Amino acid sequence: MKVLEIKNLKKDFGEKTVLEDISLTVNKGEVISVIGPSGSGKSTLLRCATFLEKATDGSIAYCEKEVVKSEGGRAIYPSKAEMKAARSKFGLVFQSFNLFPHFNVLKNVTDAPISVMKRDREQVMTEAREMLKRVGLEDKENAYPCELSGGQQQRVAIARALVMNPEIIFFDEPTSALDPEITAGILKIMKELAEADMTMVIVTHEIDFARAVSDRVIFMADGHIIEQGSPKDIIDNSDNERTRAFLRKL
Amino acid sequence: MTNSRTKRYFIGSICMLLLLSLFMGMTLTLSSGEVYAENESKKTFTVGFDASFPPYGYRDENGEYVGFDLDLAEEVCTRKGWTLKKQPIDWDSKDMELDSGAIDCIWNGFTINGRENDYTWSEPYVDNSQVVIVKADSKIKSLSDLKGKTVVVQADSSALAAFTGDDATEENKSLAKSFKELQQVSDYNSAFLNLESGMVDAICMDIGVASYQVKQRGEKYIILSEEVSSEQYGVGFKLGNTALRDEVMEVLYAMKADGKFDEIAKKWELETAVCLKAAAPKETTADESQPEKTAPAQSATHMSVGQIALDLLGGMGATLLIFCLTLIFALPLGLILTFIRMTKIKVIQLLAKFYISVMRGTPLMLQLLVVCYGPHYVFGLNTDSSFRFYAVIIGFSLNYAAYFAEIFRAGIQAVPIGQREAASVLGYSRGQTFRKIVFPQMVKNILPPMTNEVITLVKDTSLAFALAYTEVFTLAKQIAAAEANIMPLFVAGVFYYVFNLLVAFIMGRIEKKLNYYH
Repeated sequence: MKVLEIKNLKKDFGEKTVLEDISLTVNKGEVISVIGPSGSGKSTLLRCATFLEKATDGSIAYCEKEVVKSEGGRAIYPSKAEMKAARSKFGLVFQSFNLFPHFNVLKNVTDAPISVMKRDREQVMTEAREMLKRVGLEDKENAYPCELSGGQQQRVAIARALVMNPEIIFFDEPTSALDPEITAGILKIMKELAEADMTMVIVTHEIDFARAVSDRVIFMADGHIIEQGSPKDIIDNSDNERTRAFLRKL
Repeated sequence: MTNSRTKRYFIGSICMLLLLSLFMGMTLTLSSGEVYAENESKKTFTVGFDASFPPYGYRDENGEYVGFDLDLAEEVCTRKGWTLKKQPIDWDSKDMELDSGAIDCIWNGFTINGRENDYTWSEPYVDNSQVVIVKADSKIKSLSDLKGKTVVVQADSSALAAFTGDDATEENKSLAKSFKELQQVSDYNSAFLNLESGMVDAICMDIGVASYQVKQRGEKYIILSEEVSSEQYGVGFKLGNTALRDEVMEVLYAMKADGKFDEIAKKWELETAVCLKAAAPKETTADESQPEKTAPAQSATHMSVGQIALDLLGGMGATLLIFCLTLIFALPLGLILTFIRMTKIKVIQLLAKFYISVMRGTPLMLQLLVVCYGPHYVFGLNTDSSFRFYAVIIGFSLNYAAYFAEIFRAGIQAVPIGQREAASVLGYSRGQTFRKIVFPQMVKNILPPMTNEVITLVKDTSLAFALAYTEVFTLAKQIAAAEANIMPLFVAGVFYYVFNLLVAFIMGRIEKKLNYYH
């Protein structure tokens, strides 16, 4: 099944076009890494896919149901209810975690399933504790985000995304704000998720990690997808000059 | 490191402030020294008067202080070679002004009757009576018709004394008791605003002022033929200051003798009221022993601090009520205003911006007057006396909502955009996002500026005096004037201070309570 299908996506900020003619299909269980220089449009692509930015043109479909349609050169967004339904298909892990500081860890993880999805409270609590155990924070459920390290906060953010049972999780440079030794712990959790057949799209600068976990690597520059393929083809044996120039600098 | 630097900066600023105030203090001392030096060559005669008491003393359309009494004082000074200083005073504080030496005398249609022992008096020079003014179409034709009506007088005026003073006649006392309410305002302009808008039914005031006011204001008002009391005006000097009194009297007699006095009276159309006799009566020497006799008696009547506090209790309650009701209305109103201010629709946003800029850009006291008297003058509505209270609450709420709105906006904008993005991805609706995510964080953000604003509100409640709403400050001023004692003002000050200590304490507790995260 195609979990995500983006066709001919275009995004303008005023006069400036930051994404052009982006088409991307993500199949169930697939792990995709998006690499490229700063300002290439990687984050904007994730933000369009998660509706944080409105696309200028193009279509976006989740689980083979078209949400954003392209009509007459413009992207048409559906009703609030349809948007809400589409939002339940994905999760997003931010570079800056964005935990709710006034909620403790358990509430950060459980509030959305309970108050947005109206799921059974007890069941959500059980699942949330399982997820916290999975990310190694079972003893921190009463702590507030300000009492946690950056790495611990990011683990909570991953648990928060997982409890929503999404079809796909986007990661927007999840380790860029973290120290290298802490980064390893987050990457390990993500690798475990990949091995458990979670569908993931990861914007990252960790090339070794991308090589290790990805089924497919996408290289972006100047708002375009320059090339995509297996990690081996893109990271190790690319014959594209720009890809090689980018990888050399890392 | 940074901590000690901020500390040093803080101490530096305090030193600068101290230096600055020291410097300003020195300039002040220097300049007052100059005045003193001038005094020796040419004496300054400072006349205290209420600048809203025509035709005796008032501010004319050119902004000059003029009037019958001021013309008399001017002539006295010319003849004595003194420099006249016209000092407009707050009528309620006239005793403090006189006792502190800030003014040499009160010369301002100043009624002697009932105050015989409080001042060293000149000979009476104007005969004056207290009369009642009503609207021309009013059903009130005689004093007995005032039963069950609302009557307004100037605070600490002879009209008030005629109804409630120690020397008031039994007849007038029972008349005052039959009123629905006897209200006090600080000046006659407010009294007429009240009468015009229907908040009061009648004004009681001196006949000279009444004739002048009725003439100035056209045929809308009439003076009842029945008088409340009759009385005389004199110049009031500080108790015991007979030397200055005698000097002034000497000149006044001379003016009376050569016709200048009557000429000035004629100019102000007061010739019928003038009662100064040409000959100097010799019994003044007998009067001179009077001050020594009465002075100790007066100080013995001073109220104790506890008594004052007890008397102020009602005012404290009124202040508390204004404070609480303003918060109850202004907080939600401010939040609504924030939403309007932050909407994406430009026109509506602009409206909110305009509202806030007007509310912040004009004096609160003026806004209170507009809210109170606007309904009558703009829409022709007749407001009754209970409206005064509503006007205070509405005025305060509208004003404070504007300030709160801007504080809320700053608090909302200080919540990182990532919070709303995380909520959006998790599927929270806009309402849920505001209620569960943004609002609680906003509350934490705004506590310090909110504490400031709430403390300001406590002190601003005193502005209700502009609408003659008797909160603690107005009451303290009235008691201070009646008792010729500054203590009520101190007690009121202590009340405000303790109130604000409490506010700061409570806000501090809330801040601490919300400190579980940052």
